[in-house]
Amino acid sequence: MTAQLKTPGFWHRLRALIKKEFNQIRRDRRLMISLIIPPTLQILLFGFALNSNVSNLRLGILDESKTPESRELIADLTESKSFRLGGYFLENRELDDAIGRSKLDAGVVIPWDFARNLQRGQPANVQFIMNAVNANTAAIGQGYAEGVLVSYNRSLASRGIHPQIRIVAADQNMKGSVNLNPAFLFNPGLVTAWFIVTGTFGTLLVLNGSLVASTAMIREREAGTVEQLLMTPAGTTEIVVAKLTPLFLLLVGMVVLALGLIRFVFEVPIRGNVLLVFGGATLCLLCGIGIGTFIATFTRSAQQAQLLSFFVNPPLATLSGSLSPVEAMPRWLQPVTLLNPIRHFGLITRGTMIKGSTFSELWPNFLALVLFALVLMGLSVWRFRKQLG
Amino acid sequence: MFRRVFAQARKELTQIMRDRLALTMALLLPLALLVLLSNAISLTVNDLPLIVQDFDSSSASRSYIDAFRASVTFRVVAWPVDREPESALKAGTARAVLVIPEHFGRDLARGQAANVQLLIDAADANTAKLVNGYAAQITRAYVEQNTGGSRASLVTPQIRLWFNPGRASQKFYAPGIFVLGISMFPPLLATLAMAKEGDQKTILQVYVSSITAHEFLLGKILAFMIIALMEWAISLVVLLTVFGLHLTGDPSAFFVATLLYAFCVSTFGSMVGAAIPNQAAAIQAVALGGFLLVFLLSGLLFPIENIPAGLRWISNIVWGRYYIEIVRDALLQGGGWPAMWFNVMMIGLIGSVFYFIAWRNMRPMQVKA
Repeated sequence: MTAQLKTPGFWHRLRALIKKEFNQIRRDRRLMISLIIPPTLQILLFGFALNSNVSNLRLGILDESKTPESRELIADLTESKSFRLGGYFLENRELDDAIGRSKLDAGVVIPWDFARNLQRGQPANVQFIMNAVNANTAAIGQGYAEGVLVSYNRSLASRGIHPQIRIVAADQNMKGSVNLNPAFLFNPGLVTAWFIVTGTFGTLLVLNGSLVASTAMIREREAGTVEQLLMTPAGTTEIVVAKLTPLFLLLVGMVVLALGLIRFVFEVPIRGNVLLVFGGATLCLLCGIGIGTFIATFTRSAQQAQLLSFFVNPPLATLSGSLSPVEAMPRWLQPVTLLNPIRHFGLITRGTMIKGSTFSELWPNFLALVLFALVLMGLSVWRFRKQLG
Repeated sequence: MFRRVFAQARKELTQIMRDRLALTMALLLPLALLVLLSNAISLTVNDLPLIVQDFDSSSASRSYIDAFRASVTFRVVAWPVDREPESALKAGTARAVLVIPEHFGRDLARGQAANVQLLIDAADANTAKLVNGYAAQITRAYVEQNTGGSRASLVTPQIRLWFNPGRASQKFYAPGIFVLGISMFPPLLATLAMAKEGDQKTILQVYVSSITAHEFLLGKILAFMIIALMEWAISLVVLLTVFGLHLTGDPSAFFVATLLYAFCVSTFGSMVGAAIPNQAAAIQAVALGGFLLVFLLSGLLFPIENIPAGLRWISNIVWGRYYIEIVRDALLQGGGWPAMWFNVMMIGLIGSVFYFIAWRNMRPMQVKA
């Protein structure tokens, strides 16, 4: 192997082989199309369709108090962007039913003594029923409901409709309180698509990289031309490298396309050095190609490779933190994501584009990607050589 | 007629039983997917790294920090006071920074409002919102405790979480992934079986035999319905045991919908296989329909209302969407027929449309020119 590398004909042979592959690819229109349409579709679909925003929750109202105070609270609740009026109910049972049938996301019950208690300066309770089937919506909706009540309380206190209320309010102010002032850094508009598209980017590179690489490796075998290649003086490493170089260059074109979509369609800023994104993308592509070649060495036909990728890709895509935060996974699963190239590339893209991180903050992720790429490429070349040998 | 349908189904099942790759795909892979994805996909974060910069160092500020330390949501990580906290957010070592100013304790003791800043990494907008909500809850609880139990804010919300009181996101996602598995693998196998007949030209033998297009299709569909139902049964056992879900209310709507859905997905696969007699292309078509549509446009992850209107209409014809709603209803809410009759009907309707298209493709029973 090392002796082969040193022979003077190495570069010459490699160039000839690469030229052959380039010619083959140039005539393969389906490959070109498969590198343009599916990635575009995936980024657009994921970016537009996956939106975790929680707003306009349908709120059903059961107002047993029917007083100006209760109506004011209802107005406060339904005028916010978080909730919208889902209907008035007269009986508990009707409200429960509507929530059970998913006609409502939440219900609020204002008890009959609501206004009386307020006027006496006594605390009043309001019951919220959240449909918690979707845990995320329930958690965020709960925060909204509490927020609306905090501002309702504040307005009650400041306007002081009733003297008693003012007394309670004044008493409360005496005790001191903590104002928590949140500042949303990097993405003050809280656009969810930024998170999704930057995550999908890496998934795209690995999925398409592996698919293209495995088909290319298998095609030669299916056509039975591998033997012809082996008859030539070229070594297996040269064959593999020559096969993958043009594919790699094509895939870099896909990186540019995807980055363009992320930048201009979804308007994700590029606050850091764009070269970091490209560097990470290149390494991530190499990982994808490595996975694809590795799969190819285990299969006899293109269909089998495609089916095998069903085993590999969904876990790779979901155990990456690209669609949902890694911190939300169970503790035992979190370290597993460190072995996933998509996770590291996701951190690199998000860091560089949204947060403006620099290499000094991202080097561990680059190091991991380099290691994965080396191991995967090494493994596939080794398997390929063993098979041909 | 039925004899021929059953014979066709039996032949199909025998073929699958002998194909080890196909069998693992049909029965094992959905299980692995169910366990893995339901655990991996979750938005309700725990244990988020939080940096605290305490410029006050009073007993009040320390007890305030203890409130954060005690929560499940946050994990306080160390960070030198003289380093800029934003670089921790950039490097990803923390998700948020809590800055407690000087005089925090003094202000509190004087009965004034103390201001505290929370810097949140909003690159992940959803998590940022949760962080904000949780931090506000902790602060409220701290203030309440600090100012004594007598303190009453005028109106207090009493929040009840129905159907999923622990807010376990697995209970929401696992039924969705369960449907995703059934929407992906049985049609994939059906498509492969159908396209293989075209690829290997065994379809010609079918054409010259006495079997009609209806019998041929129904036989194939029946075989893959059985596969789908087997997968359904195995996955359901996992849902009921591992994920702690249980059947609520009247399950008859769920069972009827399951039969129709098994028909719907098997027919979808057969339709694609009949229309695209090329295995590789057919696999891609099923992956698009079975995976992308059901994963993205069905409300599996996020509410359908969040999808922009230009795309949202597509979800009306995504079969998985209706079945996901039925499964969630049967396992969490228990609405039964009155809540779900429309969904059951839609699944049946979409299945029939698939069957009609498949039959139209097969009807001539001769090689396409």
